[in-house]
Amino acid sequence: MANLIWLQGGACSGNTMSFLNAEEPSVCDLVTDFGINVLWHPSLGMELGDRLRDLLRALVAEEIPLDIFVLEGTVIRAPNGTGEWNRFAGRPMMQWVQELAAKANYTMAIGDCATWGGIPATAPNPTDSIGLQFLKREQGGFLGKDYRSRAGLPVINVPGCPAHPDWITQMLVALATGRGADLSLDDLQRPKTFFSTFTQTGCTRSMHFSYKVSATEFGQRKGCLFYDLGCRGPMTHSPCNRILWNRHSSKTRVGMPCLGCTEPEFPFFDLAPGTVFKTQTVMGVPRSLPTGVEKVGYVKMLAVSKAAAPRWVEDDIFVV
Amino acid sequence: MSNDDHGATLDAITRLLASGLETQVEPFPPTEKEFAEILRELRGLAPDDLKSKLIISGFKDHPHGPDNASCADCIYFLANRKWCDLPELAVPVEPDWYCRLWRV
Repeated sequence: MANLIWLQGGACSGNTMSFLNAEEPSVCDLVTDFGINVLWHPSLGMELGDRLRDLLRALVAEEIPLDIFVLEGTVIRAPNGTGEWNRFAGRPMMQWVQELAAKANYTMAIGDCATWGGIPATAPNPTDSIGLQFLKREQGGFLGKDYRSRAGLPVINVPGCPAHPDWITQMLVALATGRGADLSLDDLQRPKTFFSTFTQTGCTRSMHFSYKVSATEFGQRKGCLFYDLGCRGPMTHSPCNRILWNRHSSKTRVGMPCLGCTEPEFPFFDLAPGTVFKTQTVMGVPRSLPTGVEKVGYVKMLAVSKAAAPRWVEDDIFVV
Repeated sequence: MSNDDHGATLDAITRLLASGLETQVEPFPPTEKEFAEILRELRGLAPDDLKSKLIISGFKDHPHGPDNASCADCIYFLANRKWCDLPELAVPVEPDWYCRLWRV
């Protein structure tokens, strides 16, 4: 059995909703097939009040071994670094987070808020929110850049707003079944198995990206969402078009631009008016180009691609 | 737009530009903010006010600037249909034309 505890800091419960909808494997599978013992979870935990506090104390005292510590949501430090604005089981939650992380074999940050700070940490960040080991792209976060769980790993970051259900449960299975040492993490401590490819990888509109045919309004049945509607698919690391949502779709597949929610800068441009669903440009050139592409190459590629575009790519293709 | 209408509108624009229609080629909108302001102006026009549309968007019947920017490079241009797909413009265009709503 692998003991798991899941706490929720500054968050909307979106990752809990995602987790509870997992299918491959499901939450029930975690318990029945993979030996995960959910000691407590905000939606599943049976303990309340003093009994919950006793459970947390027993984990901190190592009377009960803690295999996996999951945090959803930010660590709230306001006011003045005390964390009093988010009290939990009799004390600021940030104190529980600090002590549980010190005892855990593995520590996982689920969702943007726990990984990078996400929306709560967006300026002016009134709750003084911070991610477990990052604040935006800056390493450190609440636990500090040198933090390692007992198994020797840094915080395992599974970002997303929310994270896909299967990213969460598949990572939990890997840890619970003793394959934690096989994990390969990227510079932002995300599992490479999920975050090496781009949202664009597998996008059904990629032919429109290649031929530089743009969607210019929502609801169009053709066109790439990157050029005009602010899609961040070409520069966002996620498997959203490989491991589909609800098993059959994704944002871009239904004509919704990727918001780049698995990257530390999310929400981009601090959600300033006019920056959402609109590609930001400087003198007519996108401010963010596809990862690894330089401006000169981008402009050259665009001219060649448009000249080569076939007729069909300009017509509606996603028809009923 | 039918083929006949497409051809007729293309001819009308060609004639207007060839006649020396003065359009607002400058200033080029440096960011989305200024770009959006031009779009707002265009949305305020009567649907059949082709001339004002050309003036506000700064149409030219030849490439523009040191890099010879033209419709052919622009993301709103549909090459096979010779069409500007920016909803606020939505007019037939030639690949070697230009306007200040040019984007790549």
